[in-house]
Amino acid sequence: MNLPFVYAPALGAVSLTVPGDCAPRAASARLAHLAKEDPVPQEEPWEVLLARANEGDGPAFARFLLAVTPTLRAVIRRRGVGLPPDQHEDVLQEVLLAIHLKRQTWRRGSPVRPWLYAVARYKVVDAFRRRGAFVTLPIEDFAEVLPEEAAAAPLSDRDAETMLGLIDARSARLVRAVALDGKTAAEAGKAVGMTAGAARVALHRAMRQLTVLAERMMK
Amino acid sequence: MSDRQSTDDLIRALAAAPAPAPFNPVVPAGAMFGLAAGGLAAFLVVFGLRPDLGAAWQDLGVQAKSLLPAVLCALALWLVLRASRPGTGLTLWPLALPLGAVLAMALLRLAGAEGALRAEVLGQTALACLTSITALSLVPLVAGILLLRRAASTRPVLTGALAGVAVSAGVASGYALHCTEDSPLFFGTWYGLAIGMVALVGAWLGHRFLRW
Repeated sequence: MNLPFVYAPALGAVSLTVPGDCAPRAASARLAHLAKEDPVPQEEPWEVLLARANEGDGPAFARFLLAVTPTLRAVIRRRGVGLPPDQHEDVLQEVLLAIHLKRQTWRRGSPVRPWLYAVARYKVVDAFRRRGAFVTLPIEDFAEVLPEEAAAAPLSDRDAETMLGLIDARSARLVRAVALDGKTAAEAGKAVGMTAGAARVALHRAMRQLTVLAERMMK
Repeated sequence: MSDRQSTDDLIRALAAAPAPAPFNPVVPAGAMFGLAAGGLAAFLVVFGLRPDLGAAWQDLGVQAKSLLPAVLCALALWLVLRASRPGTGLTLWPLALPLGAVLAMALLRLAGAEGALRAEVLGQTALACLTSITALSLVPLVAGILLLRRAASTRPVLTGALAGVAVSAGVASGYALHCTEDSPLFFGTWYGLAIGMVALVGAWLGHRFLRW
């Protein structure tokens, strides 16, 4: 860790001074099994992790993403004053996806942080600009009046399966039941133990997530 | 409105996905350079070098007509390659050096001028110059922009414009070997206009295709 991590102290301090920010540690615990496959200790420089990730080392990439996530959360929270906090996680996921898609543009041997912050700044500004055009209201208020999402955007089955793998398992089951098997939201919800309204909300979110993923994939 | 659980799932899915293919900025640069050189070679074979090239090359103005665009091309290409990776700062002022040199030459010419300047600026081949440089630039520019989609420029419009400058300045420096009008007033005006037009096209292409 003797590389010049110029930006680290400031950002670390931000993420520590914000109350209630202990969840990232819980996230690391949940993903600890990914790290267990590897004998290298946890305190690896981000440069080492990303270099190994770009050579195809999946667990190293998981540790890299977990390591940068608290910093990214802090960046998004600071920039996201005008945005409802419940959308910050969406923006974070867009940034993580961009990091994956563009990770080969980081030049091996150069510091990761300037690259990472440039990617994050670009995606965060982009995400906020797109959302800034709308008034955001919590979707729960509309649970009973939301129409059921009719069908997924036209995609090949293989693409659909790949993208369903990227969202959480329960949403994926809902989408599969409604969009691919033609069930109603109420039926699909019952199968996973949700009320019809909750299922419609979950579906709506899942579809929006999938739309974002599909846009990224097509690029 | 995703939750942290789904972020963990996303991280797990991304880690399981295969790593994207390595990115090499030499590929778009090489494609732009190669296609521009190929187009120029074909152009010069068909339309020929200027007949008096050997004698005219003694003149500083004739050398500048080829070398200043070549310098501009190299600088712009270098900046495009830097811009293709996030987090590398862009210093644009070096681009002003060849432009300033042309401006200085034009002003010197103006200072020592004695009438008939209008004819000197307009020249005989302005339209041929404009169309040749823009036409020869378009294919390499489009190819370069499409290959730069693999890159990740955080300033897509600027990157597209710089790619346009790089390609068209390179083409202009080769076209100068065909062109017989040696006044800095002529080539400053028309080469500059052609490079500017291609830069605009590049900026539009960048806006359209280089965002991610």
